[in-house]
Amino acid sequence: MDGDGVILHVNGKDHRIASASRRLLLHVLRDDLGLKGARGACGIGVCGTCTVLVDGRAMSSCLMLAAQAEGREITTVEGLAEGEVLHPVQQAYLDHFAFQCAYCTPGFILSTIAMLDDDPFAEQDAIRGYLAGNLCRCGSYLNILRAAQAARDSRGQGAGAS
Amino acid sequence: MVIGRAVPMLDAGARVRGTLPYAANLRLPGMLHARILRSPYPHARIIRIEAGEAAALPGVAAIVTRDDFGPGGLNPVYGSARDETVVAIERVRFVGEPVALVAAETEEIAEAALELIRVEYQELPAVFDVFEAIKEGAPVLHPDFPANLLGHAKLRHGDLEAGFAQADEIIEETYTSPLAQQTALEQQVAIGQWREGQLRMWTATQSPFTVRREVAHVLGLDPARVQIIVPPLGGGFGGKGNVRTQPQAAVLAWKAGGRPVKLMLSREEEFVTVTKHAVTIHIKSGVRRDGRLTARQVEVHWNVGAYASSSKHLMSAGMLRCIGPYRIPNVKVDSYGVYTNLPTAAAYRGAMSSQGAWAHESHMDSISHRLGMDPLALRLQNILHDGDQFATGETVHDVHFVRCLEAVAAPIGWGEPFEREPAPHRRRGRGLAVMMKHTLSSSRSECALELDNTGRLTLYTSSVEMGQGAHTALAQICADELGLPIAAVAVSGPDTAVSPYDTQTASSRTAFMMGNAVRNGASALKDKLIELAAPLLGGSPEGLAAGHGLVFIQTSPDSCLPYAELLKRSGKGTLKAEGSFQTEGGIDPETGQGVATPHWHQGAGACEVEVDLDTGKVTVLRYHAAAFAGKVINPELARLQNDGNVIYGLGPTFMEQMVVDSGQILNANLSDYRIPSFLDLPSELGSALLESEGSQIHGLGEMTLPPVAPAIANGIYDAVGLRLPDLPITSEKVFRALVEGHDGR
Amino acid sequence: MNHDLLQPETRAEALAMLAEYGADAKILAGGTAVVLLLQQKLIAPSVLVHLGRIAGLDGIRHEDDGLHLGPMTLLRDIERSPLVDEHFPALARACGSVGNVRIRNQATIGGCLAEADYASDPPAMLLALEAEVRLEKAAGVRILPVKDFSLGFYSTALDPDELITDIRIPPLPASSRTGYLRFKARSSEDRPCLSVAAVADLENGACADLRVAIGAATEAPVRLTEVEGLARGRALDDGLISEVADRYALQVEAIEDLRASAWYRRQMIRVFVRRALEGLRDGDR
Repeated sequence: MDGDGVILHVNGKDHRIASASRRLLLHVLRDDLGLKGARGACGIGVCGTCTVLVDGRAMSSCLMLAAQAEGREITTVEGLAEGEVLHPVQQAYLDHFAFQCAYCTPGFILSTIAMLDDDPFAEQDAIRGYLAGNLCRCGSYLNILRAAQAARDSRGQGAGAS
Repeated sequence: MVIGRAVPMLDAGARVRGTLPYAANLRLPGMLHARILRSPYPHARIIRIEAGEAAALPGVAAIVTRDDFGPGGLNPVYGSARDETVVAIERVRFVGEPVALVAAETEEIAEAALELIRVEYQELPAVFDVFEAIKEGAPVLHPDFPANLLGHAKLRHGDLEAGFAQADEIIEETYTSPLAQQTALEQQVAIGQWREGQLRMWTATQSPFTVRREVAHVLGLDPARVQIIVPPLGGGFGGKGNVRTQPQAAVLAWKAGGRPVKLMLSREEEFVTVTKHAVTIHIKSGVRRDGRLTARQVEVHWNVGAYASSSKHLMSAGMLRCIGPYRIPNVKVDSYGVYTNLPTAAAYRGAMSSQGAWAHESHMDSISHRLGMDPLALRLQNILHDGDQFATGETVHDVHFVRCLEAVAAPIGWGEPFEREPAPHRRRGRGLAVMMKHTLSSSRSECALELDNTGRLTLYTSSVEMGQGAHTALAQICADELGLPIAAVAVSGPDTAVSPYDTQTASSRTAFMMGNAVRNGASALKDKLIELAAPLLGGSPEGLAAGHGLVFIQTSPDSCLPYAELLKRSGKGTLKAEGSFQTEGGIDPETGQGVATPHWHQGAGACEVEVDLDTGKVTVLRYHAAAFAGKVINPELARLQNDGNVIYGLGPTFMEQMVVDSGQILNANLSDYRIPSFLDLPSELGSALLESEGSQIHGLGEMTLPPVAPAIANGIYDAVGLRLPDLPITSEKVFRALVEGHDGR
Repeated sequence: MNHDLLQPETRAEALAMLAEYGADAKILAGGTAVVLLLQQKLIAPSVLVHLGRIAGLDGIRHEDDGLHLGPMTLLRDIERSPLVDEHFPALARACGSVGNVRIRNQATIGGCLAEADYASDPPAMLLALEAEVRLEKAAGVRILPVKDFSLGFYSTALDPDELITDIRIPPLPASSRTGYLRFKARSSEDRPCLSVAAVADLENGACADLRVAIGAATEAPVRLTEVEGLARGRALDDGLISEVADRYALQVEAIEDLRASAWYRRQMIRVFVRRALEGLRDGDR
């Protein structure tokens, strides 16, 4: 392993990646690990399409060096479903038509998961405020709100244990 | 029946899993990464380019400069006006214009190579304002256009002077809308691969066949040797409707001689690649005391930017979108497209109707206030009904503007008293607006349907899926026509080698045009199925029918064959049929008279806004939108379009403006150029989809967007008595108007 | 990228690295600023010193001499800290206003102060709270009040070989109230046009102490101590509030940027200083 390598723990598995420590986490996820759910639409942490969970926190993978993610648990959208079974938040987005072009959708789904972990009873205003850092140009916000509320309501009913 | 049902998008699972195969995800063996060296000057002659050092950098595979073009080589010129080049040849005409192209093993190496390319420029005077550009002595961008005037579209209807003479009041105003950007989250991207004299390209575009034509032209190939494949887009909004980045990727791919080349723009580069036309609209109306419009004159100056792209067509389209859905006997419109040293403008969601409605709907309220009339009453007095004549001379049919207005006025509570002063420093008001837009008058859509012997149907279409649900809607039409479950229908394309011709996915035309092509194709397929079934069912084809997934004898439907079985028993693996649909039309270039459209797109919006007198900040409390859909194919996807358009429209209203200084874009990033976020939404947002028995499907991609800005401006006027003529409506502009006690006009 | 990435495991190691590389090194704390600047090629240090592996640089502790914030404490953690909410609730609000939740999950209070982004929220609040930064280099330690630390546009008193190792917020009398307001002129998700951080010690309705810091409107957050002094001993009534607001509007040298002109900022300073002080008077904690 070269001095520039990292070991990243992604979606429950360890990956050894050479020559990566100084590269953006976003690029390592997409190019080295083939995980394309995180996207880079703005390059400055504003749009949220690059969102990943790091130790359960929503972070902008376009603003992190891979080295900063070492030793931490990284979750991408690809790590949410279990085979055919979608994560409850993914299911809620599906059920509520909470996307159009879907470029922003993985970022929104991960942010919703992190939000409900932080604030399981988030009301509408809190949901809007938390998700305000994710941009959707197609304007699916209303259905996203419905999906987030549905995901919130189905937690603690056995359907949403995450 | 699947039409009318909220079927999830066919690939909804991939969308929530993050596995949708956007073009940017594509990785091919040996793929190279491209970067563009761009002009730092708005107008300059290129004296010399030296790329030798860059070419020698290890890891650089190909460099393209103007030296790669010329007689016997590649053709540098493309674009519908043939005025744009793959890289600048003799001079650059805007900051950001491509000057050289590099393909290298990694993006870092490509970036490093850019720094090694030496370009010597001789700066020329530049011009950025349309009125400066058309003046005598202004810097000339294109020798063929000495007055920088790309074109002048004209509409002449009735007798304007007579119309004004009949008026009791004449109102004359000027409105502006600034340079802005479509800002799809997915950036422009093209991946090209040259192999055995053919080019294959994967790209995010709304116009695969236009791209094919232009790329073929640049490479000097028969279009059949260029294959354009279009994966699902991460948004388009008009910005991907023209040829952008594909010629650059194609030429690099050719030069790289077989290795694929990926060109993907950074967010910053997006702002110098395609924009929304800045425009100044001068609008003058004559009106009688009772509210009847007698005349309207509009003079529009569109800021085309440095190259024409589709502006010639858009100028003419824009001419029709600055008038409004009104019965006006005398109309004169002059729509000018002016070249300036700014990045090239092209269609922006609503294509010119966003800017046009800003002007004509704000103006209608000014008229109503002059007359002391209710703004809704003024509109209803003049609004077009079925059988009326529009300014193009054509009779409008299937128009429901009254219903659109009522569908937004009612939920807002128009005319009812409401709390206007909730606090000493807050004022509320209500406003509304209505819009009308034509779709492409002449266009063609073709498709192919292929049924296999397991009963699965594949629809081959070059309609682009960009989140609007086009593929899903078309599959629903397919399923219903043939009586198949939606799960049995797959949609394939666009791939110009496989899916047939379509003009483009824009102008909200797909559900109507391609939908009709699909119907025709389904009908042709059913005919073939019947022909196949006749010998097996023992009857003549005339006595058979196809539907509900089978072919049956009409008089005794129990004698039937499901499609799959029919194919198997006929020894056929697949059965294929084609469908097409075309519309013709057009308007006279000197008078604007003729047939502008197969049918009219109609939308409206009404809002309640609150103005903070201390800060000028405007909050949209409530907004209701309506669009005429004719027939709704998928209510959930349709509602997403409708709501999405309103939200999109908040951008140009409040915050979207490219800030330019001496040709440099100062805010080319998503922190300084804002698009609407969750917190910008009104607390109450609703939209209605209007249908009518027997109506054609009317597209929904744009209609509830144009009314947003003028409805809000009209609400602000109702709240504080100030007319704001220049977008965006910032807190500072409102505050300044409040402080100065007038609109500063 | 062309820099070396160094990842010290202890504070001493980090200080030694900074002593060696000096101005050739750039400290990487949360990364939201530095990684962005590297991507945009606005900085090109030969060495990045990543602090993320060093234990004990984060944490919020309440002691007799006030609230201590470790420099690597995430803004999100300050935003949600019961300790901060108890003692300086407006600081929680200020930290919770920065960017978006992802930024706050990554950005650190030390990094935020060191970056001195004029539009950033926490520095103005820390100025009003009269916080002090503890700066350490291999050769020794010094303490600076925030007002002497934030110097101007992206500029601080931090020496190239120095680390922020602590931020101390002195305790306020029990009769104190704190407030933080920000104004976004364009989108609701924008960087602020203006922020006002206010602290008032109101004993029986009279100001024993008044502090008003303006942020996002000037090159560095600013207080007008002479104007603040006018409040001493007076009731925080409409008259005093107007006077303070007017003087701030007149005297603060507001900047012009994409979000607002200098003139508009001045007008908004008047509005939001007034609103902030009304908030304190009417019961903000």
